[in-house]
Amino acid sequence: MEFKSEKLSNGLVIIGEINKSAKSAAVGFFVKTGSRDETELINGVSHFLEHMLFKGTDKLSALEVNQAFDRTGAQFNAFTSEENTVYYAAVLPEYLVEVTELWTQLIRPALRDEDFNLEKNVIKEEIAMYKDLPSFDVMDRCRTLHFDGHPCGNSVLGSEESIDNLTAGQMRDYFASRYAPNNIVLACAGDFDWDQICSIAANSCGDWRQQTVERKLEHGEGSKKIERLEKANLAREHICLMSAGVSAQDPRRFAASLLGMIVGDDVGSRFFWELVDKALAEAASMQFGAMDGTGAFCSYIRCSSENVTKVLDIVRGVFDDLARNGVTEDELAKAQNKILSALVIKNELPMGRLVDLGFNWTYLQRYQTIEDDVNAIKAVTVDDVHSLVEQFRPGEFTQLSLGPARRT
Amino acid sequence: MTKGLVMAENFDKYVLKNGMVLLGEPMEAVESVAFGFMLPSGASRLPKGCCGASNVIANWIFRGAGDKNSRQLSDAIDGLGLVRGRSVSSSHIAVGAALEAGNLAEALDLYADIVLKPSLKDDQFEIARQLAIDEVLSLDDDPRHKVMLKLREQFYPDPLGRSTLGDIEELKALTAGISGRIIKDKFNLSQTIFSVAGKYDFDAVCHRIERLFDSERQDGSELAALGTSVGKYTHLDNDGEQVHIGLMTGTVKPTDEDYYNARVAVSVLSGGMSARLFTEVREKRGLCYAIGARYHGLKEAAGVMCYAGTTPDKAQETVDCIVGEFNRLGEGISEEEIDRAKVGLKSTLILQSESSGSRSGAIASDYYILGRVRSLDEIKDKIEQTTVDSVLAFLRENPFGDFTIVTIGPKQVNVK
Repeated sequence: MEFKSEKLSNGLVIIGEINKSAKSAAVGFFVKTGSRDETELINGVSHFLEHMLFKGTDKLSALEVNQAFDRTGAQFNAFTSEENTVYYAAVLPEYLVEVTELWTQLIRPALRDEDFNLEKNVIKEEIAMYKDLPSFDVMDRCRTLHFDGHPCGNSVLGSEESIDNLTAGQMRDYFASRYAPNNIVLACAGDFDWDQICSIAANSCGDWRQQTVERKLEHGEGSKKIERLEKANLAREHICLMSAGVSAQDPRRFAASLLGMIVGDDVGSRFFWELVDKALAEAASMQFGAMDGTGAFCSYIRCSSENVTKVLDIVRGVFDDLARNGVTEDELAKAQNKILSALVIKNELPMGRLVDLGFNWTYLQRYQTIEDDVNAIKAVTVDDVHSLVEQFRPGEFTQLSLGPARRT
Repeated sequence: MTKGLVMAENFDKYVLKNGMVLLGEPMEAVESVAFGFMLPSGASRLPKGCCGASNVIANWIFRGAGDKNSRQLSDAIDGLGLVRGRSVSSSHIAVGAALEAGNLAEALDLYADIVLKPSLKDDQFEIARQLAIDEVLSLDDDPRHKVMLKLREQFYPDPLGRSTLGDIEELKALTAGISGRIIKDKFNLSQTIFSVAGKYDFDAVCHRIERLFDSERQDGSELAALGTSVGKYTHLDNDGEQVHIGLMTGTVKPTDEDYYNARVAVSVLSGGMSARLFTEVREKRGLCYAIGARYHGLKEAAGVMCYAGTTPDKAQETVDCIVGEFNRLGEGISEEEIDRAKVGLKSTLILQSESSGSRSGAIASDYYILGRVRSLDEIKDKIEQTTVDSVLAFLRENPFGDFTIVTIGPKQVNVK
């Protein structure tokens, strides 16, 4: 594996990790923008804009874009989060140049009114689809309740109302302010020719104009509010818990991930033994999510209405015990083994590697080898986990439940 | 017992004297290894009245095995850093894991206990059964998943489409005794396929598996005679935001000589974002966010399975548009469409071949359905051989039609 990096004079960073033994290559544009960079008035614009990039440029129609990708057999798509919009493709090595060239064009989209108006329907269908998925809906709503005015609580999809009111003009303004080259990282992983990628970037992106892009960074302590919403058609109780954690820049993020795994991995965790193994809940998981300047632990629990009180008592017990007695060496070692194998397996695929490569640069502006991450995970001690628990008190959480009407 | 190594290019194969088949695919560029056991005890292989037992069993066997109780077993698995996999299909319960190659031997010892010596305690059975019941109840809060399970149930002749999650009433009636007997009958090593892919030493794997799994040959149980499909249209009322639409039509099986023509035809319909369904339903009309169709093949039957989710007012137009695209396919396909479909299929194949987990699953599934493992080159060649004419000729002989449709949502559709 060989790492390369370069920066164009307009600030666009190009990074690549070359692995000649790979059978494929992956490319991604990591744009540092998401729902936290939106105002209430334009909530949902980052995600909508992500859809609009596929609608083409002044020279390419939407159908031509899709055909051009499909001609290469690329597995291509994009995703938007609270703070990143990522466009990616995994392809056979011989197609990487073509696909990268295509993306460089699409990152300067036409944003036509008629495409915007038609795609609005698709966005609203996506919002409707996730409303029918309470396991997603409860987390989305809990995030808003937890961050309580902090921009990280902004919904990625936006609401039907905010999307209805959004104009193509507002989207163009947002695009102009956020898609500056100095706010984008172009990353490649797998088997590819570094010089070719650099020359494509220089030719196609060299004239993009640099400008000041800002993001307000402040830690989100969390509201610790507790709410419950009812929906008549639901069968189960869906519960989301959130509490504050360290940021993506904080070296303690590895300890935080391990803590999440000890408390709430799908199998073998404290939640698992106390809740799922006893069939009190059918799902109970906790994960740590590191973000720009802040972070959060997020748990999802699903159970019957009858078990809610008991389940929540047990959850409080798990966190009380954690605060009082901490974690054991044995628990930490198991969590480390699990995270390490998952990390190694994921990074064997160029597409898996691309994601870590791009995000590490976005957040840290530096290259982390897989080895660096492995060593950082191995180095975490029980004391590191304890000091996190002490500082962030995961037992003091924001709680949102979504369930059927309670029988009176 | 001799080592029956001969297969196309780079595969390993060895058969134990009890008939259990061991398959391997070495991969140069990885440090990981993935393995799996396909146990012939899937949803369609169960006695009548036990729908869901496979799901219970797949959980129960992990609740203690060999000299370890549930907790000790789980700790041992986690201690090796295994990324666990467990699934129930129409034909099999599949258990396995992906891991760092150095821990393979110890992992196989643990899985031998799970498959051969599960503790099967009564109290653990009750928990496994309760979790399976809860999983079925939770389906009501996941209409997208539910519609596809219901669709298979309606489309395939019974028992092929039986729900892999189970039936509430039958789960409630299920006992530890019945489930224990199913394990005894159906965990038949003579019909079990073991596969491994990634970084491993096949001789060492064979010696270990042979020592652990050596047994007398056991007669196989045949699949019960197939019933008829329920078919046509089913609607389940749900006061949600969208109407979730599942649609399926029959096509040739993976063993058919026209299999690759069928795969390319489905790819023209729904292979990429320039394929027909995405273009017509989403891009031109804005009817859906999620729309897609895929080939779904069992050993005994196969179909093309389509999902779309849309708000109630657009449901009828969506169904009509999808059915229209299926019907229209046989009327003509361009060279460019076929080329894109072919390159998409080939590329997916190669991208998946980088993952030890997906290769381990693929070689086992090939062996079960075809009785041999196809090399990547063979699949690529077969895809390459398809043409506009061959796909259209296939569609003339085997037109997509006679749809089974299931909807879940606040509004029904009219099915012609």
